[in-house]
Amino acid sequence: MLDRLYKYRWQYVMIAPAVVLLFLFSYIPMAGIQVAFKNFHIGNTMWTSPWVGLDNFAFLQDDQFWSVVKNTIYIAVLKFVFGFPAPIALALLINEVRHSGFKRFVQSVSYLPHFFSWIVVAYILQSLLTLDGGLVNQMIAGLGGQPVFFLGSTDWFRPMIVASGLWKEVGWNTILYLAAITTIDPQLYEAARVEGAGRWAQVRHITLPGILPTISIVLILSMPSLIAVGMDQIYPLMNPANQPVADVLDTYILRSGLQQGYFGMATAVGLLSSAISLLLVLITNKTSRKINGEGLW
Amino acid sequence: MKRSASDRIGQTAIHVVLLLLCLSVIYPFLYMLAISLNVGSDAAKGGVYLWPRQFTLYNYEVVLGNVVIRHAYLITIARTIAGTVSGLLVTLLAAFGLSYRLLPARRVLLGYVLITMLFSGGLIPFYIQLFQLSLLNTFWVYIIPSAFSAWNMFVMMKFIQGIPEALLESAEMDGASAWRVLLSIVVPLSKPMLAALGLFTAVMHWNDWFAGAFFVSDQDLIPVQTFLQQLLSAQDISAVLGSNNNAEAIARGNMLSTVTLMSIKMSTVMVSAIPILCVYPFLQRYFVKGVLIGSVKG
Repeated sequence: MLDRLYKYRWQYVMIAPAVVLLFLFSYIPMAGIQVAFKNFHIGNTMWTSPWVGLDNFAFLQDDQFWSVVKNTIYIAVLKFVFGFPAPIALALLINEVRHSGFKRFVQSVSYLPHFFSWIVVAYILQSLLTLDGGLVNQMIAGLGGQPVFFLGSTDWFRPMIVASGLWKEVGWNTILYLAAITTIDPQLYEAARVEGAGRWAQVRHITLPGILPTISIVLILSMPSLIAVGMDQIYPLMNPANQPVADVLDTYILRSGLQQGYFGMATAVGLLSSAISLLLVLITNKTSRKINGEGLW
Repeated sequence: MKRSASDRIGQTAIHVVLLLLCLSVIYPFLYMLAISLNVGSDAAKGGVYLWPRQFTLYNYEVVLGNVVIRHAYLITIARTIAGTVSGLLVTLLAAFGLSYRLLPARRVLLGYVLITMLFSGGLIPFYIQLFQLSLLNTFWVYIIPSAFSAWNMFVMMKFIQGIPEALLESAEMDGASAWRVLLSIVVPLSKPMLAALGLFTAVMHWNDWFAGAFFVSDQDLIPVQTFLQQLLSAQDISAVLGSNNNAEAIARGNMLSTVTLMSIKMSTVMVSAIPILCVYPFLQRYFVKGVLIGSVKG
């Protein structure tokens, strides 16, 4: 045994930095969940702070918390309903293009927004939608309409989040589907054409079934991150005017924990949301084993 | 083959939809570029849509003349380089070590990594740990916690395991150490994969605003994206020009009246986006390749 350990000594040395980093930045924070049951103040350590039982979970009786939960689910579901089928539709459209130069152009351009930060996206939205001099409001005014305060409106916040999310990621998310389409046997299309199938019939009976396995894998992989509805995307666009609909679990944790100093309570909220994510992962894995005969692990 | 009329209509419709999509991506950048290249007070009157009406580089002079922005830029560049190098190094080493199927305790180590992908303590315990390690408000908070990526590690490991074993074994027979095998066989063969993962890591560092906004309070340590995040909700122009850091711009005080908050915002965001726009055409294929390799589940 010692011989084998010695034989692989350098491999252990190579793995060591990763093990240490995970211990410091993943495992100790997991132990830090105890802060959810403690009265913690910065300056104390998480080990020596006094236990307070379930006091930090008082937010469960807070109406604001439940409105945050509602917002989170609302945005998660909307983003999923629009965000999941859109790249499939786009991939099918791109696949129908016969001119290969145009095809490449569309792909390159549609991937681009993926490489910009959500902050840049927020600026784009601001430049288009702001009240003073925003492009859209200039047009509305030009047509004789009343300017709309899109960025501070509770009605426009969700459409704005869904649309900008789609805009940023739809192209990038087509990559897998387009790759899957190229693996479909061209003879199938040949045969279908001989039998008189039109373009639409070919899409329905060959292309879609052909990429079904990919669709199901993407579906499964997207489940666990469902409720993590982007602090990255929402926080920059949130302001006092749209907060009633914009506040989600992540921003709630950020505000109550890091900005107001309720560490125990914010950790407790985080614990609930981690638990939901874990549950989604486990359910997903189980389902995946049933459907594909194989889980993610 | 003769095409039917309905087919031609379908093709045209698809082209129109896709062109509109491309336009929706390209136009906002052109619009922001036009505003940033126009005299601010003139742009505020409206009507600048595609081309600057009163061309000026003054907005950029103000932005690039601002010490705070220049400093933020340096921080971004430094963290992107240091973060990418350290991230690739730690992740590659772990992936290579764990790619040995006969490594004792390998399954335990893989499980140790996997668990962190499934469950996390959440933001607050992570923050408390950064505090306890005295990483808050240091440059290292950008580098050290993100130096290992479990996801990239698994992708890299799968890739290394795809290298023919005979190649690695013959090197070992010749007495090559693990380090030697890594440097002279694995690294040269993994270049495309390393390029893709390196680019992903670099883009992540370039675009990150969160760490700068919440783990750092010293303005001298914030990266460009955090600066942009602070500027996003700024209500008046003094947020950028108020400090006496802008000696060059103030020296030309009479022109300052032509600068608006919007023109400054647009030129600042262009300054942060232009580097990505410039490298994107060259690197795009690596990104795509990286996604495709990463998605092949083993």
